[in-house]
Amino acid sequence: MLPSYLTMAAILFCIGLYGALVKRNAVIVLLSIELMLNAVNLNLVAFSKYGVVPSLTGQVFALFTITVAAAEAAVGVAVLIALFRARGTVNLDEFDEMRR
Amino acid sequence: MFNIDFNGEFATFFIFSAIMIIGAVLMVSLQKVVHMVISMAGVFLGLAGMFVLLDAEFVAFVQVLIYAGAVSILMIFGIMMTNHQAAKADPVKPLHETLAAVAALCLFGMLFYAIRTTDFPDAQPMKAVEDNTSSIGELLYTGYVVPFELLSVLLTVAFIGAIAIAKKGAD
Amino acid sequence: MDQFTQTAWLIPLFPFAAFLLLTALGRSYRRAGVLIGSIGSLAALVMSLLVFFERLDPDAVDYSDGFKWIDLGVYVLRIGFEVTNLNALMLVIVTAVSFLVNVYSAGYMKKDERITVFYGYVALFTFAMLGLVLSDNMLVFYIFWELVGVCSFLLVGFWYAKPAARAAAKKAFIVTRIGDAGLLLGVIVLFWYMPGHALDFSSIHNVFSEGQTGAITMSITTSIALLLFMGVIGKSGQFPLHVWLPDAMEGPTPISALIHAATMVAAGVFLLARTFDIFEASAAAMHTVAYLGGFTAIFAATVALAQNDIKRILAYSTISQLGYMVMAMGLGSMTGGIFHLFTHAFFKALLFLAAGSIIHAVHTQNIQEMGGLGSKMRITTWTFAIGALSLSGIPPFSGFWSKDLILAFALDENPFLFVIGLVAAFCTALYMSRLFFIVFMGKSRLQQQAQVRESSKVMTIPLIVLAVLSVGAGFVETPWNGWLGGWLTGGGEEVHASAAAIVASIAVGVLGIYVGWLMFGKGSIERGAAAARMPWLANLLERQYYMNEFYNLMIVKPVRGLGKGLYAFDEYVIGGAVRLIGFTSVAGGRVLTRMNNGQAQVYGLTAVIGLLVIIAAIVGRRFW
Repeated sequence: MLPSYLTMAAILFCIGLYGALVKRNAVIVLLSIELMLNAVNLNLVAFSKYGVVPSLTGQVFALFTITVAAAEAAVGVAVLIALFRARGTVNLDEFDEMRR
Repeated sequence: MFNIDFNGEFATFFIFSAIMIIGAVLMVSLQKVVHMVISMAGVFLGLAGMFVLLDAEFVAFVQVLIYAGAVSILMIFGIMMTNHQAAKADPVKPLHETLAAVAALCLFGMLFYAIRTTDFPDAQPMKAVEDNTSSIGELLYTGYVVPFELLSVLLTVAFIGAIAIAKKGAD
Repeated sequence: MDQFTQTAWLIPLFPFAAFLLLTALGRSYRRAGVLIGSIGSLAALVMSLLVFFERLDPDAVDYSDGFKWIDLGVYVLRIGFEVTNLNALMLVIVTAVSFLVNVYSAGYMKKDERITVFYGYVALFTFAMLGLVLSDNMLVFYIFWELVGVCSFLLVGFWYAKPAARAAAKKAFIVTRIGDAGLLLGVIVLFWYMPGHALDFSSIHNVFSEGQTGAITMSITTSIALLLFMGVIGKSGQFPLHVWLPDAMEGPTPISALIHAATMVAAGVFLLARTFDIFEASAAAMHTVAYLGGFTAIFAATVALAQNDIKRILAYSTISQLGYMVMAMGLGSMTGGIFHLFTHAFFKALLFLAAGSIIHAVHTQNIQEMGGLGSKMRITTWTFAIGALSLSGIPPFSGFWSKDLILAFALDENPFLFVIGLVAAFCTALYMSRLFFIVFMGKSRLQQQAQVRESSKVMTIPLIVLAVLSVGAGFVETPWNGWLGGWLTGGGEEVHASAAAIVASIAVGVLGIYVGWLMFGKGSIERGAAAARMPWLANLLERQYYMNEFYNLMIVKPVRGLGKGLYAFDEYVIGGAVRLIGFTSVAGGRVLTRMNNGQAQVYGLTAVIGLLVIIAAIVGRRFW
């Protein structure tokens, strides 16, 4: 079963990557990043059951990841709100500050 | 090539994965932002189901609580607070999108190839523990107590920071 | 007894020290510069005279000394000096003319703002020429040979603001380079075939003089001799490569006197004398040398008949006289060649310096614009007349004795060349009388009359000294006194007296002057008569047999064409490739600039693609 879970995680990760690279709305980009993190979580939990040394550690790590992801989502949305106040948009095409 | 026994676990796995892939694809292809978030919630729920399949009940519950609940609601709030005007028709960037699609597909191809060719050891799957939640709690408060405490500090700081950032311009 | 001989290596160092000092001084200290240059050459002159008087002792033996320069294990290259009678004579000629030119230049170059640089170059030239004279082997000789070439280049192009001077300097350098390449090849071949790879002149003498010990075959000897002779052709302005010498007259006149009349151009003849044994060992080489010299003598003399630039006339005269010397060498009379070199150095330097005095006074070089200068510039006129008579071969002036010696020798050896020599002598007398009568006699055709004045003492005194030398220098070797020949060659005092040669020589000289006087002095023969009857001949002579045009057409144009072809190849093929690379870079840069648009997603995509490439590169190695 392990390869099936890993393949599933890879699919999720690649869809998330595509969304993160293509979507213009910053909120959706954040969501796509969450999707990629979830794919990683799936891997962690799958290895915790089917890995060479099965243990609960994988699940603990998944929990940590979820925590950090939650913090990231909160800060990300806060930043977006601040950005929107300053620029009136969250369309990523409008942001090219890195060019300067 | 998929030489997998067709048993109960696989059937359930198949259903959940179908839900997740459909949700993920919808997430990247739908037009309205709110719809995207809702399909994303579907993905999160499917993933929670998969966690149950993997004998990780506590993680599954956390997934439902944090992702399907908190994060989705947070994103909807984010959308509501930023998307006053409906996004105008975006200028298309075909080259960029094609390249991104090709890159994602290539990456998937590589990963898939790696997964297919790797010889995974034939270890016994972990027996499901009696009480998943209490085992994890024990582990967290013994072996991982320092990272756990650090994480709680990180979470607190992040939330306070988020409030500070979001509030600053409001005044 | 020979303490001066042993310290002869000091002689070139005086002018060299002067050169270093003058270079350090820069353009300031004009007076001090003149003084330093003159003192440097005076010290060299005094030393040379001391060495020379030591050599007069009949018991004096050749002295040479040196040190190892490069030790290649099998071969050893040495730097050294050698004092022989020939060298001592050359030392005196070079230092004497150099000193007089230094003094003269103090007046002639007075108003030039780069006079210090000029004196520096002259000092460097004197150093190089003395080093050339003293060198004891072919390699060091070659080094100094090139060094005098460089000085000639620098001094011909001294007034580099004039385009003609620049062109002349380049021409002098490039044309002599052809000969120098031959000389270098000759030295290399010599080095290769000499027993023990010895290059010193005494070994050359030993190998080649004693009837061919079989060390070197006849054909090799001939090719070495001809290659060395190429160097002579280039440096001494012999026939095919003479074209640079008339153009070199763009340099300051004292330089023409020092380098292009008395010393450097005589270096070729000196080389012939130093390597005379090689030439003597090959009859073919001797014939080549003799005929080429004779041809050059008559060729240049005829050209000189039709020129109007006073310095060009003298330049062609120099070529002609060098032809005489080379012819004498080729006929086997080393004494004749060196004797003529000796007398020619004085009277030709005198003629050039007197010409310089005239140019200084009238500010033109065209003899048709002069005339009637005789009464205004007495010292110049008299000294010029002495030089002209000496050149024309009128006794008792020095030129007569040396020319007579060559002609007497030619009469014995090769009557054909004797006739050639006589015709050349007639032409010489004719063009000198033409020059003299047009410039000094008759009515003045000058633009500004009043300004013509005799030059200052600092310029006339060297003229007088040279005039005295021109008269007196001939008596070291006369038909009844073979001292110079005996002293030079170490043999007996052979006397080459030939009444026929003397009579013929005087006759053609007097005849030439008489015809010249009739045409240009008295005017009883119409000046343009000859030219009017044979306009093609006059044109041919005036355009110097179209040698420059010939070279231009045959060599310069094809080489230019080749250069243009190569340039086009460089421009379009190599340059095109370079531009293509540049264009690709620029285009790539444009693309990258557009990608660098500040959008995080583009950066992210780029990073992902890069990651894929890295993975492909690392993992993909498995598959190939």
